[in-house]
Amino acid sequence: MSARPATPASPKNYKVRATQPGQPMYGCEHLQRLFNQDQATTNTSIQHYRAILRSIFDTNPLVPQTSKAADGAVVTSLTPTYLCLQCPSTLTEDDRTKHGSKKSHRFYVDSRSGALYCQMCDDIVWDPTFEELRLKKIGTGTFSNRKRKHEELFETSDPVRNNPTYITSNTTIASCKSSGLRGIYNAGATCYQNVVLQSFLHNPILRNYYLSDGHSSSTCNVPYCLSCAMDDMFQDFYALETTNGYTAANILSGFWFSDRRAFDNLVATKEQDAHEFFQFLAEELHERNGDGKKPEIGSEHSCNCIIHQTFYGKLQSTTTCQNCSGVTHQVQSFLDLNLPLENLSHKKGKKTLSRGQLTLQECLEEEYVKSDKCEYRCHNCSSMQQARRQTTIKRLPNVLSIQLKRFEYKQGRNERAAKIDTPVQFPLELNMLPYTNRGRAISSNGHDGGKENYELARSCTYDLLSVVVHVGEIDTGHYVSYCRDGDQWFAFNDHRVELAQKSDVLNSKAYLLFYVVRSLS
Amino acid sequence: MSAEAGDTGKAGVIVAQEDAPPMNKLSHAVLDDLLYNVVHDLLLKVHRDEKIARANTAAIKVEKLAKSTTDGTSTDPKPDVEIETDAAIYKDGKVMLKGNPLKSTKEILCPKCHLPRLLYPTDGKGAKKPDPGVIYCKKHPYIEKVGYDIYGQTWVAPGPGRGKKKKDQKLDPNDPSSPAQGEGSAKDRPSNVLSFPSATCPKCKRCILVTRLNNHMGGCIGNSGRNASRAAAQKISNGSNGGSQNNDNTPPGSQKGTPRPGSRGASPRKRDGDEFDEDAEDSDQPNPKKKKIKPNSLTKKVILKAKSSAAAANFKKDKAKASSMLNVEQTPDDDDAKDSTVQVMPKKPTPTLKGASPTKKIKLGAAKPRLPSPAGKKAKKDRDLESESSGTMSSPPPR
Repeated sequence: MSARPATPASPKNYKVRATQPGQPMYGCEHLQRLFNQDQATTNTSIQHYRAILRSIFDTNPLVPQTSKAADGAVVTSLTPTYLCLQCPSTLTEDDRTKHGSKKSHRFYVDSRSGALYCQMCDDIVWDPTFEELRLKKIGTGTFSNRKRKHEELFETSDPVRNNPTYITSNTTIASCKSSGLRGIYNAGATCYQNVVLQSFLHNPILRNYYLSDGHSSSTCNVPYCLSCAMDDMFQDFYALETTNGYTAANILSGFWFSDRRAFDNLVATKEQDAHEFFQFLAEELHERNGDGKKPEIGSEHSCNCIIHQTFYGKLQSTTTCQNCSGVTHQVQSFLDLNLPLENLSHKKGKKTLSRGQLTLQECLEEEYVKSDKCEYRCHNCSSMQQARRQTTIKRLPNVLSIQLKRFEYKQGRNERAAKIDTPVQFPLELNMLPYTNRGRAISSNGHDGGKENYELARSCTYDLLSVVVHVGEIDTGHYVSYCRDGDQWFAFNDHRVELAQKSDVLNSKAYLLFYVVRSLS
Repeated sequence: MSAEAGDTGKAGVIVAQEDAPPMNKLSHAVLDDLLYNVVHDLLLKVHRDEKIARANTAAIKVEKLAKSTTDGTSTDPKPDVEIETDAAIYKDGKVMLKGNPLKSTKEILCPKCHLPRLLYPTDGKGAKKPDPGVIYCKKHPYIEKVGYDIYGQTWVAPGPGRGKKKKDQKLDPNDPSSPAQGEGSAKDRPSNVLSFPSATCPKCKRCILVTRLNNHMGGCIGNSGRNASRAAAQKISNGSNGGSQNNDNTPPGSQKGTPRPGSRGASPRKRDGDEFDEDAEDSDQPNPKKKKIKPNSLTKKVILKAKSSAAAANFKKDKAKASSMLNVEQTPDDDDAKDSTVQVMPKKPTPTLKGASPTKKIKLGAAKPRLPSPAGKKAKKDRDLESESSGTMSSPPPR
């Protein structure tokens, strides 16, 4: 295949992944033989595998999906083809056997997943060396990442840390039973807190932060510190064997002791808005862990605290004066994206007559692709002018939180808030590239394809992490949530945790959505 | 889509009719291919998880075996031996697979604790009885059963009556009898039926049932909620017509949990009212548990008050208590004292506090006759106390 680069004469010798306790060295006996031939074979095998992964994940899928049969006929298939590890052929499943017996090439790569097939085992083989490369490619798009550099740094500077006995003696190993899956008791109309806490608990960045003593409650002196309460909660969820529900007393007292008023009308018995609690908790945790500055709404605020690293992104709004075509940019930080459903659901309702379904992408498009008209004071014209304003995402956060504004004010005799029950379809996998200013630049340039764009799209791919659902009316109801642990979804209803199907999750009428960027996981 | 297949894709499940137009056949073929891919991806994922788990199991087993053969020098993490099992070979500190682990290895060992994993849930959908002779890894497959959570747990329905009883039981964590009773009721239930726990309020250090925690904290810390408005309403009613507490149908005893700093000292009448209502409530309270708790907390507060401020209304109470500590002589007034002393005894800190300065309290008590308390009310109170005191004193356990 011409697309694959010729093996460069690299002096670098590739190494088979070092053996790990509790893991075999190779995927199968046949790969073991391949790797043990000589260094040159190992080098070419790994180089070829990397080249194949690049052609699968960084190019147009047409390339790996097109195979050439023995009689010279070129076929492009939707179903997987097999790329030979030892020569540049792409084969269909049927031709694979013929190719193997003719050339005695035994290893092939599945064109849709990058998995390695061993013909002698007649099975897919999961070799530690190859699998590490594959996962890195899928995740970050590169084979060597910063993390490895970091590890190397550690190796030279601190040999003690690399000693496995040092690590085992200084780490508390949680029991196999503790999985982080516990309900939280409802302390009396606190389900709005529970759902947000659950989504924090299953947020990998926050989890790693707190479990690696990012904020240690034993050294913090702030009375009724909410971050300490979070730390205690993470420890309880991930270190204890308890499967009973959790009593979030510390969180609750921290909430009541906090100077910040989370809600205008704070009455214990009253049900509150989960989104407001999310904002409250995020700001409170920022204050405990961050630079101490209060985040101002509408401004650009950068901070290195865990909350900013996790949730905050940046929006750029561009205002173009219709008179002088002068452009002004304004950048502001955002904790979450708030998507109004009001207009869209009405529009849809008219168009399709029936109460139409919306998709999350449509809502995002409405906000971050389309422009709207506004009036503003233009500096050039020094007068009020009609202008076009467009908002795009300048920097995407690691965890993207989206609020679907499921409420509207009904005009008419008795003006009051009403809930919008329109279902909004949201995907398990969300590509945010079209809503960023880079994505916009690409689409306006018109040219598509190229390695860079695949990498860019990959860096903008998000996986659904948790969903907060409100059931009931606008002023009263109940919050439940769904969170993902690995590939399994769980439904959290206060202290109850149950298994959930993907279809349960996707059919729910989401209020808050949390997506995590794929390159992290 | 291979051209020769024509009317179907690779899965061969979605097939167009023979006489279907070409576009129809094509779309069937595309759909069929997509179905194939969906199944392929799913299978690949399951295959990966399963095969890696089994391969690691084979490695763990052979490593264990290698370690056990060189038990004398087991400090070496990589013993220099050659061991072979059905699934793997151990050589030079490395593990090499033998054959396909999906065929050679049947169980899955936990990579962390090296115990076998339980492969089926113990209850609900797809459940199988685990082998009782095997110690399994603690990570179990999650249970899918209606009415139960993923660990097979369920909860006692927090009915209104039961809920209240629970709260009363757990009001005082120092009361030795309440946890014991809690255990007793837990024994009656199967182990997977859980009850709602309690938590301590960080401000007033009281133990509150979790379902009331938010409400409590709202009142205790946030100074809002139902109790706040109730307290305010009571303040108003106290101010307008003093001594009308007899008619107050809201038992203020239920609010005693919330300390209202300043309010006691400022309004001695209210104090009296509280005491009175408290006792009246106790007299028709069937559960002696509750009674034990209430005066307990009350007396504690009162002592603290007496030390800090010289609120006249407290003297009587203190004097009564002190005298009962010192002598057994009974005056009508001492009924009250007996009442509280009997209940207070189990609690440790209070008696020491009391014993610290009995003389002082007696002195304070001597000032009692000059109390500005309404005489009529007091008389009624004493009558009430007399009627109930004998039973309480003679048999502190159930009545």
